[in-house]
Amino acid sequence: MKILSLMTAVLVGAVLIYGTLDMPKWGDPHSPANTHVSPYYLHHSLEHTATPNVVTSVLADYRGYDTLGETTVIFTAGMACILLLRAGRKRRGKGDV
Amino acid sequence: MFEFIVGHYNYWMYVGLMMIGFYAMMAKRNLIKKIIGMNIFQSAIILFYISTSVKKGDVTVPILEHAHDGHGAHAVDIMHYANPLPHVLMLTAIVVMVATLGVAVAVTIMIYRRYQTLEEDEIIMSIRRG
Amino acid sequence: MVAQIPILIVVIPLISSLFCPLIGLWRKGLCYFWTVFSLSLCALASIDTLLTVMESGTIHYRLGGWTPPFGIEYVVDHLNAMMLVIVSVISLIVAIYSKRSVEQELPRRFVYFYTVFLLQVTGFLGIVITGDLFNLYVFLEISSLAGYALIAIGEDGAPLATFRYIVMGTIGACFYLLGVGYIYISTGSLNMADVQQILPQLYHSKVVLTAVAFLLAGLAVKMALFPVHVWLPDAYTKAPSAASALIAPLMTKISLYVMIRVLFTVFKPYLSIELLPITDIMVWAGFVAILGGGIMALAQTDFKRMLCYVVVAEVGYIVGGVGLANTIAMQGAILHILNDAVMTIGLFAVAGIIVYKNKSHNISDFHGLFKKMPFTMAAFVVGALSIIGVPPTCGFFSKWYLIHGAVIAEHWAFLAALLLSSLISVVLFFRVIEIGFVFEASHGGHAHSTGHVATIDEAPLSMLIPTIAIAIGIILIGVYNQTILSNIIAFAVPKL
Repeated sequence: MKILSLMTAVLVGAVLIYGTLDMPKWGDPHSPANTHVSPYYLHHSLEHTATPNVVTSVLADYRGYDTLGETTVIFTAGMACILLLRAGRKRRGKGDV
Repeated sequence: MFEFIVGHYNYWMYVGLMMIGFYAMMAKRNLIKKIIGMNIFQSAIILFYISTSVKKGDVTVPILEHAHDGHGAHAVDIMHYANPLPHVLMLTAIVVMVATLGVAVAVTIMIYRRYQTLEEDEIIMSIRRG
Repeated sequence: MVAQIPILIVVIPLISSLFCPLIGLWRKGLCYFWTVFSLSLCALASIDTLLTVMESGTIHYRLGGWTPPFGIEYVVDHLNAMMLVIVSVISLIVAIYSKRSVEQELPRRFVYFYTVFLLQVTGFLGIVITGDLFNLYVFLEISSLAGYALIAIGEDGAPLATFRYIVMGTIGACFYLLGVGYIYISTGSLNMADVQQILPQLYHSKVVLTAVAFLLAGLAVKMALFPVHVWLPDAYTKAPSAASALIAPLMTKISLYVMIRVLFTVFKPYLSIELLPITDIMVWAGFVAILGGGIMALAQTDFKRMLCYVVVAEVGYIVGGVGLANTIAMQGAILHILNDAVMTIGLFAVAGIIVYKNKSHNISDFHGLFKKMPFTMAAFVVGALSIIGVPPTCGFFSKWYLIHGAVIAEHWAFLAALLLSSLISVVLFFRVIEIGFVFEASHGGHAHSTGHVATIDEAPLSMLIPTIAIAIGIILIGVYNQTILSNIIAFAVPKL
């Protein structure tokens, strides 16, 4: 079992490294990730949202729906924990831990 | 060749970290160790995303300078600020990761209450015994 | 107001899940009506969206008004409009059905069960409606977390099964996220339509090849494709009946939808058909899943567990059908997503009723069920006939298109698997039906319930009516399959 897991992990790692071979260099300012969508945020954030912190303006405005999803994830986790740990238990007695 | 390695070793580091986490998730028999492996795996992905946002040179955090000096939206030199988008994505992903961790630990607590152990082998033995 | 309907589909269950615990503080029982109410609104909104899409084509809805590659957008075309209706209507039916079962199995958890139930539906709908790769991941996690919670509160052994599901599910989601990261680093965009525009120049890049591999591997774990299905049977067998009736039909189907979306919207079809042998691999994966799922199902003595393996086999149908990569097979595969969702919920609803009445889902405890619950078992027979593929039921028609597609593609092995799987289903379900017809009185050992054998002891109406409705739905979808096919699915099939 351990050998099998090790082999799977190494295989997955090898595929991932194969994928990195064609990637732009680390820190390349002209990579697609740095030139396609993100300059728009840097250029227009102040004008559109009046927020100097671009991360904030993207988080709360351009991709605000993701943040709604994020808070929903937290709400889900909270409800899940209540459902799992509290709701099913008997009323608290003295010996109950 | 040397330049290639310098340009890519950062990605290989994250792959190594990911493999450690992945191995721990599959091979470890203790439930908490599996959860730790899960966290290492997810952290590796976060490192990967963040490393896509790096720009070399005279770069600072994506908080615009001179924002309030009256000029408003004057030309922003994008080579001067890091890419904000991966940071935003990873803020979301970190929260998702914490939430998954929370649910996983809650389930682990349920398992512990039922079987009084966190070793998978012992749990399976105690299920077989009925 | 009308223009805002696409967002309402997701927001209604989300907001009502927020109010659900508050209502529960006041009156516990109201939570159930609140859930049913909000899910019926949601179903109306998605039916309206489907009609709009059929009338005027694809809807683009910009969240916050930002233009697409910069903001997030909803893209609703025929395929996901159909999925929205499937998800919202099925979750509404399960919500109506679940009341008595939840009261019996989880009396203390009534309020929070419905809260998480609504969040689960929110996650499903959010996955289906979005046009953004990263947003899809966020909603995938919402639905997974809610699913973990709903499964873990099941019978003894459920937490351990859930833990395994969490480990596998997280691996699947992380692989998906890695795939998205690889796409992001090579294109700089997360919007599906935008990525499709940029990617063709990069199809020979190693980054993109790895991205495809990881997206599909992650989704394969989530959809329980045969070799990585190991989390599914344990988790769905031990889940509470209402939770397994919700999750079993929908979770796998939604992952299949995302797979179709990734293969044919994010990437152009010729990548997976011509440049890479992805579709060929998919047909063989489907072949293995159909036979593997079928054979494993034969070995089960537990009814719910048997159904789980049937689900695994059905996933193989759709994966293989998409892999055949011709229009007819693709139509069959998409029709089968609809049919399979309806058939699976029907069978799991029957399983829930049997658990409610009999306290057991072991097939050997099914003696005399036809006498005891004639209507429930009639619904069961309809569902079983549909899985086998007998003409008036919907399962026949999608299987027919899949077989036709396999003939066109000249893929005889897959054809053989399809036919063999029908045969396996016949054996599978007739074994259950046979046991159900045998009177318990003839088995002397079971003296404790001989007195009740001859009397009819049906399930409560709130469970029975949805189950019968599904059985009627199975036949209606079969009768009107041509209408569905020519009005919706013909437009939903990706242009090859």
